Amino acid sequence: MSRSDVPSVVFIGQPNSGKSTLFNSIAGPKAETSNFPGTSIKHTHSRVNIEGRLLDIIDLPGAYSLCTTDPAEQVVLTHLFGERPDLVVNVVDASTLSRGLELTLELVELGYPMVLALNMTDVAERKGVRTDAAALGRLLGVPAVPTIAAHGRGVKELLDRAFEVLDQGSRPRPLRFSGAVEDRIAALERSLPPGFPIVSNPRFTAVKLVETAGHACGDFLGEVEPGLRAAVDRVRRGIEEGRGAPAYEVISAERHHLAMKLFEDTSRVLRGRRMTWDKKVDAVLMHPFLGYVILAAVFLAFFFIIFKVGSPLESLLLGPFVKLKAVLAARLGQGLLFHLAEGLIQGVGGGVAIVLPYFLPLLFLMSALEDLGYLARAGFLLDAFMHRIGLHGKSVSPFILGFGCNVPAIMATRTLESHRDRVLTSVLIPFIPCSARTTIILALVAFYLGPLWAMGFYAANILVVAVVGWVISRFLKEPSPGLILEIPSLKAPRAGAILRKTWLQLRSFIKFAWPILIGGSLVLSLLSYVRADRWINDMLAPLVVKGLGLPHELGVTLVFGFLRKELSLIMMLQALGVDYHNIMSVITREQLVVFTVFISFFIPCLSTFAILWKEIGKKWAFVSAGLSVGIALALSWIVRLVL
Amino acid sequence: MNLLDAPANAPLRIVDLAGGEGARRRLLALGFHKGDIVALDGKAILRGPLLVRNCTSDTTVALGRGVAQKVLVEPVHEPL
Repeated sequence: MSRSDVPSVVFIGQPNSGKSTLFNSIAGPKAETSNFPGTSIKHTHSRVNIEGRLLDIIDLPGAYSLCTTDPAEQVVLTHLFGERPDLVVNVVDASTLSRGLELTLELVELGYPMVLALNMTDVAERKGVRTDAAALGRLLGVPAVPTIAAHGRGVKELLDRAFEVLDQGSRPRPLRFSGAVEDRIAALERSLPPGFPIVSNPRFTAVKLVETAGHACGDFLGEVEPGLRAAVDRVRRGIEEGRGAPAYEVISAERHHLAMKLFEDTSRVLRGRRMTWDKKVDAVLMHPFLGYVILAAVFLAFFFIIFKVGSPLESLLLGPFVKLKAVLAARLGQGLLFHLAEGLIQGVGGGVAIVLPYFLPLLFLMSALEDLGYLARAGFLLDAFMHRIGLHGKSVSPFILGFGCNVPAIMATRTLESHRDRVLTSVLIPFIPCSARTTIILALVAFYLGPLWAMGFYAANILVVAVVGWVISRFLKEPSPGLILEIPSLKAPRAGAILRKTWLQLRSFIKFAWPILIGGSLVLSLLSYVRADRWINDMLAPLVVKGLGLPHELGVTLVFGFLRKELSLIMMLQALGVDYHNIMSVITREQLVVFTVFISFFIPCLSTFAILWKEIGKKWAFVSAGLSVGIALALSWIVRLVL
Repeated sequence: MNLLDAPANAPLRIVDLAGGEGARRRLLALGFHKGDIVALDGKAILRGPLLVRNCTSDTTVALGRGVAQKVLVEPVHEPL
């Protein structure tokens, strides 16, 4: 269906304004996600039917302003300027209204049809802030509706206003800057040559030309003609000389003052009712000593819950697949058909029974910690440690995601502003044991050598991440820009919102990773059908037998390990011709540890490699693979020396 | 003085944002402008970041020491 038939509605707001919560409550569980909400370069979109009317609703990543160098925020600009949505829903956190209004003012300057959602009015109430939404709406020329997205309150009225604006249009009223600045902008507006690509309206275009000076949104305004460039420079210099500050800062200050004035004119602050308990809780959560005790407890509980939920779920889900395979083996014999069916079952089974049981609770708990606002606080606490490895606190949440699966973790690095930080974090993530590798560590190391060994294995793993990070950061010349991370106010997470978020993230993971998992398994089955495993074993013998001191038959498991980490475990049993409980009868303890170490480190799995390639480029994908092989060899050698 | 030398839990006025354009633009976008009243709520151990609350908009950010050094402030003599 073409755009003209179904109106498109974009949701725009600053991070932590509850924008995605509002979006999800309208989109429901049917939303079509192209990617990870909140951490997404692409956006989440959904076609919804509201009382018989169709709408295409689009959730854009959170953005602090329309003038940005942040890659995730650039998406917002590309979409806004390129797609020209029929309606903008601007979501503002009512509890930090004066700041949120700065983006609102930019959107009003843009002048698209718009409605304002004054969200989280409950938090604002608790802080003692009461805003007259109707008055605010009148001043800006757009309907404003108070909402509490987490409870679904105000959503219906917001949609009613949205339809009114779609039907009758709205006239956003841009507020003027102070005299001298406004005059200069107006002069530039008049000197825009005919045919110059105007974004929405001449004033917005002129403001953005002055504000960006060839940065960020300047790119979207097209190549500036030579004469115009000089005119823009003249205006910018005029503003800078008049106020003694860079033009972008002057305009930002203008909006800041307008926003504060709007806030004062429409809101009452009852000082006596200011919320004090959350300041007290925060003082403990970020306390120089207690903060770390709580952090350690949270993470221990985090992993404990994941394994407590994951392992019974895994055995429960794995059962039917094992049975199905046995049935098929009996029915189909050993022909090509059986091998293909086996590959399919292993691919689907691996995705369903091995990754999901651990990944699902991890996503759920991550969403809960994020909604609560704890992840930002963990970032604050761990920043000093991350500095030691050349990163900062913002990399903490991609790393934590990496324990579930490296693929979404690498996608989540998009929230990092600098390219350098993204590359370094993405290269380090494959060294974090994901749920598939954890399965191997638990099944081999914890089961045969005891839980202490497994914990030691984990500790060694984190040490490896630290050392590799420290070494790579020596080579990356560009310094890290340093931490600027918002600490959102603490909020009680709501189960419905967390479940919706978990579901959306899970779906995009399934869409990306499962085809590769299943394809990889099919290839493996074909390899074993044509008996390619023998010559693979022979080819890898120098490495496997001489280098690592492992049995000859295990060569082929390394290839499997590249396609699917957890398959190496299954293939190891198959290759050695023993069942799980008798492994120790054919290999030694030392061999078991060497095998686990080597399999965990030797290469990122195919899906991870693919996402590295896509996200940070071919060069770094190969650097990551090369590093992994080198480190796996070195560690295996150290293990052989020590044991 | 810059934020690193500023006393904790006392109102401070931002007199200037020094440093590179990238960090300045980021600070402006997060609502930290010249003239705003801020307070230092805490410091992390091991030369970790500073917790800075903007009293004007009631928002809090964690700033790495490098960034905090670029935020120049002066004490204000009025209650928080």
